[in-house]
Amino acid sequence: MSREKDTTYEVPIGPIHPALKEPFLIKFKLKGEEIVDAEPFPGMNHRGIEFMGMHRNPMEVIPLSERICGICSIVHQHMFTTATEHALSIEPTNRARYIRTIMCELERIHSHILWAGVAAHEIGFDTHLHFTWKIREKVMDLLEYIAGNRVNYSMWTFGGVRRDITEEMYPKIFETLEYYENLYEKLEEIFLEDPSIKLRTRGVGVLTKKDALELCGVGPTVRASGVKKDVRIDQPYAAYGDLDLDYVIPSRYGFENKGDVFCKTVVRLKELLQSVDIIKKCVEQMPEGEITSEPKKAALLNKLGKSAGEGIGRIEAPRGEAIHYVRLSEERDDVDCWKIRASTYNNLSTYAPMFMGEQIADIPLIAASIDPCIGCMDRAEIIDINRGEVQSYTKEELHELSVKKTKQITKGGVE
Amino acid sequence: MNFVLDWGIKFVLVLLISLIGIFLGLLYKGFDRKITAMMQSRIGPPLRQPFRDVKKLFMKETIIPDYAVPWLFNYAPIFALLPSLVALAYLPLGPFGPLMDGYGDLILLLYLLAIPAVAMAIGGLASGSPYATVGAQRELVLMMSYELPLAIAAVTLAYNYETFSVGVISSEPVWSTVGAMGFVGFALVLATLLAVMPGELSKVPFDQAEAETELAGGLFVEYSGRNLALFYIAEAVKMIFVGALLIALFFPYQLSTLIDPWISLGGPTIPLLEMGLWAMIADVAFFLVKLLVIIYVGVSVIRVAFARFQINKASYFYWVPMTIIGLLGTLLVVLERTGL
Amino acid sequence: MPTQTIYTLIKQLFTKKATNPFPVKYTPENMHDAAELIEKDELEINPPVDVPPNFRGKLKYDIESCIGCQLCVKVCPSQALVFKEDNTVRHYVNRCTFCGQCVDICPTDSFEFTDEFLMAGPEKLYEDLVLNP
Repeated sequence: MSREKDTTYEVPIGPIHPALKEPFLIKFKLKGEEIVDAEPFPGMNHRGIEFMGMHRNPMEVIPLSERICGICSIVHQHMFTTATEHALSIEPTNRARYIRTIMCELERIHSHILWAGVAAHEIGFDTHLHFTWKIREKVMDLLEYIAGNRVNYSMWTFGGVRRDITEEMYPKIFETLEYYENLYEKLEEIFLEDPSIKLRTRGVGVLTKKDALELCGVGPTVRASGVKKDVRIDQPYAAYGDLDLDYVIPSRYGFENKGDVFCKTVVRLKELLQSVDIIKKCVEQMPEGEITSEPKKAALLNKLGKSAGEGIGRIEAPRGEAIHYVRLSEERDDVDCWKIRASTYNNLSTYAPMFMGEQIADIPLIAASIDPCIGCMDRAEIIDINRGEVQSYTKEELHELSVKKTKQITKGGVE
Repeated sequence: MNFVLDWGIKFVLVLLISLIGIFLGLLYKGFDRKITAMMQSRIGPPLRQPFRDVKKLFMKETIIPDYAVPWLFNYAPIFALLPSLVALAYLPLGPFGPLMDGYGDLILLLYLLAIPAVAMAIGGLASGSPYATVGAQRELVLMMSYELPLAIAAVTLAYNYETFSVGVISSEPVWSTVGAMGFVGFALVLATLLAVMPGELSKVPFDQAEAETELAGGLFVEYSGRNLALFYIAEAVKMIFVGALLIALFFPYQLSTLIDPWISLGGPTIPLLEMGLWAMIADVAFFLVKLLVIIYVGVSVIRVAFARFQINKASYFYWVPMTIIGLLGTLLVVLERTGL
Repeated sequence: MPTQTIYTLIKQLFTKKATNPFPVKYTPENMHDAAELIEKDELEINPPVDVPPNFRGKLKYDIESCIGCQLCVKVCPSQALVFKEDNTVRHYVNRCTFCGQCVDICPTDSFEFTDEFLMAGPEKLYEDLVLNP
């Protein structure tokens, strides 16, 4: 009688774990130090934001939407605003488009630097965590200077933006951009050439191009595998149509499109430089004119309550493509339906092939490599407002529903 | 009667050395944290922070998990602390020679160095958590890896002095016993020992057993209160132990003898020890500075300048490059000694 | 392995630290005692960094010019503004998210942002934390 022992054992990472900055659960099957199976379990961080949004009028939802995520607050604000504009056929002014682009790119800079710091922390390199977060302060200061506060900028309104970028602000903007251009070499030295970082990121967490396409990943996660996918180019919003952009993939800069953590770092660092260029161009080309097409707020509030329609807002967030769906009805002042699909939701499915065959030591780094934002992703509670019933769903049902809905939205809504 | 009195004094002195060891360990831990923070452009905690941490941990509840083996779980921290304290009695500390000279040698010290790691692994395995189990496995793997370069270094020194006695080795600085080739050889051996130091003390880049971001504290994940405080002190004392060992083996210089040609430090002679008061104070201060430099180079700088290695890469690092460097050093020393 | 990083680190040992030691360098033993000392001007605190020109701090409410149109109550996302019977609004600072929609929509500009951001109080409804109670 052969007694073959199953030597695998299970280690849960999460819901609360230092490797994860937000509640999230991944169950790992390990054989020694090697991962043989990984299964993500989202749904630990339901906050019911969509539900809260459906009990508020669109004007109130703008500040709420930017609180979905602490890092990509501009992203969600932008998507909700453009979705509502789409529903109501409001056109933002040209100047507003440019200001929006500048803000989006500033946020990308801050998000990517933050990610680099987190990645360094995950591999036990706290020095670079402190370094990157120190240099991140500069862009935070600029955002604070333009918008008034460090996070939650409250810049967007229907038809434009609420704060102008005036000529007095230009010197500070250019100074910050120059600061990052000068520092860029140092960042590259740290993250692409440091021997101990190279040792940890090269060939770790590989996502092949085939897997990336099949699993519908988005953003830098799949661009590192060589997939040309970027909403800013594929379907330009704000002022991106006026700019000449190219996909940031590693092969453009003399690296192989391997899809490992190293390539993801390359993509993010190069996007940093691209963002600096975009902001420069936007500031130079900034058209004159009004910053919002709906200056009368009281009339706008009235109009929002009375109109009906549905719209989609898409954006290339720092983590990849994200979508908001908004429906307004005539009967209710409040938002009738609001559905958010954040980029992390797509990228989670890419975890499975990335974790396979790696070591425990690589778990935090690979988990961080998609730049997960669980707060953006987990938030559903389904409520039928017309019938006044609150229905509770199990995680699996909810998951299915969400998948179905995402499919419906992407099939029906997007032009 | 004399025998009893002699051992009585020694017993009291060992207790005194233990207390001084704990105090210095925590103080230097504070230094390490402060310097690390300053290198990372932070202000960092005050120097007395480790003392506060220990005080706080002793006040906290000590929890024993349901799946743990209680007696192993509780004794592991004590077994991690005791060897380091005992070892201090066998080491020359500044101007004072080894208290227990003649009763133990370098081999004993190597064993005492290994026991805390084993105790930590046992404590981890006894706590019944998957994280701690993985941490314990890693600790043992790492221990097996760094023991070889460590043994090579010890053997090289013993070969040079033809004895394992630390008292004899520290009586004459190793650098003056050999010529140019041997000097290079011992520099390589010192490099090996400095590389072993962070592994021995479980500091980044060799902190895989704790690996906060991977294993959430690894070995110590289930430890709390008094047990955790004991581990904390054990780690601090071990730092002093390893630092003092390196000083005894490679830098046994005394300030008073170094500057003797120019300034003669004397002062009132202390009975029993037979040395001048001012000379003693200068030598103690010099020893503390040497300890600080060793800890700064071997722990603080390496801790902030490198990322945590994967366990297989850490193991490889000790088994292949470090062993080769160590053996090369040995070879050079042997070549010079045999006069080839 | 001497890397560029080590050089930078040793340089940083002697340069100015990035940490902003506001309000004090190390946490005092007792927060309440420290707060009392600060109130009596016996303990000096490190100054905070300057606020930007468009900073959204604590609101200032001008009760005289308010016409009671309730538009601000409608756009407040966190119900920090509550309408009172005497045709004015009450503002709960602890609920405020500083989005500034009320400032934008007010037809008589009764709301205004100040630079004040130190708003901690011992309890939720501390006298400073409710405007027009």
